[in-house]
Amino acid sequence: MSIRILTIEDDQRIRTAVRFALEDEGWSVLEAETGEHALEYFKSTVPDVVLVDIGLPGVDGFEVCRALRRTSDVPIIMVTARDDTHDVVAGLEAGADDYVTKPIAPKELSARIRALLRRVRSEDTTAAPRSVGDLDIVPDEGVVRKSGNEIHLTKTEFHLLCELSDHLGKVLSREHLLEQVWGYDYFGDGRLVDVHVRRLRTKIETDPAHPRHVVTVRGMGYKLQA
Amino acid sequence: MKYNGLPWRRLPLRTRVIGAFTLGATVAALVLVVITYGLSRQSMLSQREESSQRQFFANARQVQSSLRAENPDLTQLLESLPSLSGSRSIIRTDDIWTSLSVTPNDLPSELVAVVVEASDARSMRYRLDDQPVLAFGLQLRPGDASSLEQVAYFELVPLAEVENTLESLALILLVGGILTVLVGVGIGLWASGGLLRPLTEISNAATSIAQGRFDTRLEEVRDPDLAALVDSFNDMAAAMESRITRDARFASDVSHELRSPLMTLRTSIEVMQHRREELSDRTKQALDLLNDEVVRFEQLVQDLLDLSRSDSGPMENDLVNIEELVKATLDIAEGHASLEVIGTARGALVMGDKRRLAQVFDNLMRNAEKYGGGATRVIVAPNGGNIEVAVEDAGPGVPPSERSLIFERFTRGATARKRGTGDGAGLGLALVDEHARRHGGSARVEGKSDGGPGARFVITLPRAGRR
Repeated sequence: MSIRILTIEDDQRIRTAVRFALEDEGWSVLEAETGEHALEYFKSTVPDVVLVDIGLPGVDGFEVCRALRRTSDVPIIMVTARDDTHDVVAGLEAGADDYVTKPIAPKELSARIRALLRRVRSEDTTAAPRSVGDLDIVPDEGVVRKSGNEIHLTKTEFHLLCELSDHLGKVLSREHLLEQVWGYDYFGDGRLVDVHVRRLRTKIETDPAHPRHVVTVRGMGYKLQA
Repeated sequence: MKYNGLPWRRLPLRTRVIGAFTLGATVAALVLVVITYGLSRQSMLSQREESSQRQFFANARQVQSSLRAENPDLTQLLESLPSLSGSRSIIRTDDIWTSLSVTPNDLPSELVAVVVEASDARSMRYRLDDQPVLAFGLQLRPGDASSLEQVAYFELVPLAEVENTLESLALILLVGGILTVLVGVGIGLWASGGLLRPLTEISNAATSIAQGRFDTRLEEVRDPDLAALVDSFNDMAAAMESRITRDARFASDVSHELRSPLMTLRTSIEVMQHRREELSDRTKQALDLLNDEVVRFEQLVQDLLDLSRSDSGPMENDLVNIEELVKATLDIAEGHASLEVIGTARGALVMGDKRRLAQVFDNLMRNAEKYGGGATRVIVAPNGGNIEVAVEDAGPGVPPSERSLIFERFTRGATARKRGTGDGAGLGLALVDEHARRHGGSARVEGKSDGGPGARFVITLPRAGRR
């Protein structure tokens, strides 16, 4: 079955053009005009990737992200015309895995989609289970337990945690994490890492305000410790 | 030296306030010291004079009464006279002087002359052996039984004690005066501090606004003189902030509106490119033209947005490895420029916004591509506490007259304009300049150091951790 991509975009012209471009990649494209439509749609069919425009009328893109995240860890790419820190961070905190800025070239867009799909598909079956303090990470099951209780992480959060645990106790730069987890080159946006680390902390740390496991090393990056 | 106007006015305010307080305190101290000393001196001397005079008259009366005897023993008489604070007496009978511890020469001749002539008591102040002395003299009437014709009684009262007291007083007053002046200077310092504090605060606030913190306000004050200034400053800051926010929102709104149609354009063009083989040659050419223009349009919208953000928006602050950043920019530019990293510039860190810094170097590479036939050499070198990144090309260069203008918005070199390629919008270098300045650095263009043809754009950025 071919990959299904749901684009949520109120501008019909953009929607059509994006559909043409993504269909050229061999994917099937589903369209939703509003957030309400998308959420309605989601009840019956779960797509492989969701592209959501932030500036939707009615239920906006942030709300759609949050609503989708409540029930699913489907990969979400936020499409935004505003790349101000405020909008980007708000979108990522609402649960998006990645963001692209209009006008994005279709080649770049499909590269982002492919990177996300790779992340979702590649359950690392070779990596050994590991324990970090009260955390148990089982890569081949895609499962993390904190003191025995299973914690729900999105694929991106899980890959971020795995990458950090692969280099336990070592400081990883944002560039390194962007490359390994998101598949970006040097010019990836460090805010992606920052917000995902923040989200990860709220899930795995006992006190997210004073993280014990995922530690910020100022000006250098992040490291995982027991 | 020639002065225009009052030199006083040209001194700093602080100096003038302290100066005024010092001057005031000095004058006050001086007046106080002089008056106190003068009054004390006068009252002490007159007191001493009065008591001495009383004693003198009493003694004179005693001498007078002794003279009634026929042959008075004057020496015994003198010994019997009470001596107040070391006063010494002399009696002159006709031309014979009788005295105990003084000689007639100790008396001023003027006094003697006056007393002999006058019928009442005379006094005179003078110095004897460098000591202040008060001398009294009175002509006495010899008794009827006496054979004497002329008798005069003199008394010398030393004033050294009073003088000493006055000297001590003068010393105390001097010390007091100096202390008063010092206190005056102290109050001047304190007052000038208090007076200038609002000015310092305003200056700090203005600097903070200039650095982009537009929500900076001054604290309300109760002082009615300052309140007006503080209010108008805050009103100005508020008006400016709302205006800048409005402008930034406008630019952001415009860019949003432009970005959506651009997305359709970009995507549709790529869909067409995907089916290039199905197109006729003419359509292909038209498609390429369309594509080039959309690329240019996108760049313009992006630059405009970045400029509007650079005017107002906050900056990410990270440690950025300049060498890595420049290397990554060169990789993307896919040019033929060589990279040289010199000495301690290797691995040098700069505090800043990676994306904006990347844009700086990317714009310089694009500029070299457009106007200089592509960058030939990129040099990262240390310069004191700074890191300099120079991008060189082998193009026509920038004439000295255009070098300061080239970083203005919408300016392009005259040479470039003549070529009429119509490429670029003249915003790239303005962005380079603004981003460099917001990182505490600068941008400049110069000729090549070896004098060869071509331009050399240099970005100077402060090194992190050395400030």
